[in-house]
Amino acid sequence: MNQAADTNQFFSYSRWKRLIALHWEGNKKRYLLAIPAIAALILTWETFLLLMSNYNPLDDGLQAFTYYWGLGIVGCLYSSTIFAELGNQRQGIAWLSAPASAFEKLLCGLLFSTLLGFIVFTIAFYLADIPMVEIGNSVMARQHRVWPGGYPIGPNPIWRFWRGLPGDEMDQRIHTVLVLYFILQGAFALGSVYFKRLAFLKTLVTVLVFILAFIALQKEVVENLLPQGWHVMPPIQDWITRDDSLRVRTIRLSPWVGGPLGLLLLLGIPPVFWIATYFRIKEKEV
Amino acid sequence: MVTIRNLHFAYRHKPVFTGLSLDLAPGHIYGLLGRNGTGKSTLLRSIGGFLFPQQGEIGVMGYSPRKRQPAFLQRVFLLPEDFYLPPMLLQRWLKINSALYPRFSGEQFKKAAAGFDVPKDGRLDQLSYGQRKKLLICFALATNANVLLLDEPTNGLDIVSKGQFRKVLAGAMDEDRCIVISTHQIKDLENLIDRVTMIDEGRIIFDQTIDMITERLVFRISYDPEETERAIYSEESFRGSALILPNTEGEASRPDLEMLYKAVMLHGGQVNKLFSQKSKR
Repeated sequence: MNQAADTNQFFSYSRWKRLIALHWEGNKKRYLLAIPAIAALILTWETFLLLMSNYNPLDDGLQAFTYYWGLGIVGCLYSSTIFAELGNQRQGIAWLSAPASAFEKLLCGLLFSTLLGFIVFTIAFYLADIPMVEIGNSVMARQHRVWPGGYPIGPNPIWRFWRGLPGDEMDQRIHTVLVLYFILQGAFALGSVYFKRLAFLKTLVTVLVFILAFIALQKEVVENLLPQGWHVMPPIQDWITRDDSLRVRTIRLSPWVGGPLGLLLLLGIPPVFWIATYFRIKEKEV
Repeated sequence: MVTIRNLHFAYRHKPVFTGLSLDLAPGHIYGLLGRNGTGKSTLLRSIGGFLFPQQGEIGVMGYSPRKRQPAFLQRVFLLPEDFYLPPMLLQRWLKINSALYPRFSGEQFKKAAAGFDVPKDGRLDQLSYGQRKKLLICFALATNANVLLLDEPTNGLDIVSKGQFRKVLAGAMDEDRCIVISTHQIKDLENLIDRVTMIDEGRIIFDQTIDMITERLVFRISYDPEETERAIYSEESFRGSALILPNTEGEASRPDLEMLYKAVMLHGGQVNKLFSQKSKR
């Protein structure tokens, strides 16, 4: 007989570890292939940029653009499959009947989609980006490329994701884009439990509908509550107007209140999606 | 062990159960019989916690199946007719999957696998449907789950394997275990099940032990037209008429469950009336 049963029915580390081993074993081929596949895609994209641009194709802005868009697309696509077995009766029964709690199953899914997915993408990105930036720099050095004004184009540094979006002070402080990614990723993970088929497309449409509804809410409801001539600036905390001399007047929360509040709101959304996913797993029938 | 009270369940617009009640006791192998679409698989999945009652209650050894607690999932094993095994090495799957079942016995698995001619290694996705099914049956038995729910377990098994299945299952039965087998292939399990539960249109229409069936009914081949006239159910065969008669003389006979099923479907009231009478023994 195996070891003694874990008495905690909500979370047991040893049970969770075994569940992770089961998930890894069933999916390792896919995951191991993901690194070279993503790296190859980024390599192709950056080669294309290098061939198409006469100036500075792989500056830190384009590296960041490639990273964030790549992470967004790959991360959301992958997250929309993380609980996809629940849409299939055969796999759904096998997955739900594994003796682990719904919380452990959620944590296992989040570990792979949120944490390891992020790490794997980042590794794949740098596997392609570092050599491509080096190649780009050597090409530029050989061709003595200069900006139209005559200034020489200097070598590009490798963009480091933890330093945030180049030129965006707010992102460099609080990693807004990464937080937005985790919000989207959480929404797609929920979508993978919620929708039986075409989870990615359905979640994408749902997210777009929510964003449009949010904008409409601001325009049609919140602005109507403001005095004549005042508008709401996204996300919601700034009010703005122009007086007769076209001077802009803004009312906003002080930075030491608005900043942390905004961050708290942003950071609070992914856990909301994770909690919703947990209850959806708990209530899932196959 | 399993208590179902006033179970109501419907798939969108199609009601399946409208007040089903049933008790399943340990130490029995139940044969769950019924036509296609009468709710056999739905019942098994409801007991296993994969479908939730819309009304009524299901209790399994003090657990509520819909909570799907790990301790419950370790004690109740559902083998669906259409099952899934991940594409990995058999031994690896066995090692990782068995670790999730604290009462899993490697010895029991080996014993069942030997009796069933289950391959010892190879990739799961390269095994045939029958081999994968046999593997999963062996695994289910070795988990020492108290409640085993088997949906059409003999589908896809060859003739030899069906015999092995009966042997392996009979060997794994004990007083703490309850096995429920949903099947159309009644003949495959005739010597295995000790209680017959028939379900139709979401209701239990017959639920008796084999002992009680042989006590109350006699199954016989006869050429006697008078006897045929008295039969609850009769079928013409080349050897004469196969009959089900009330067992008034305490005669011993081997029940033909397929015939019994047809008899209950056609003359359920008459058959059940014989079982509602007090025992004469």
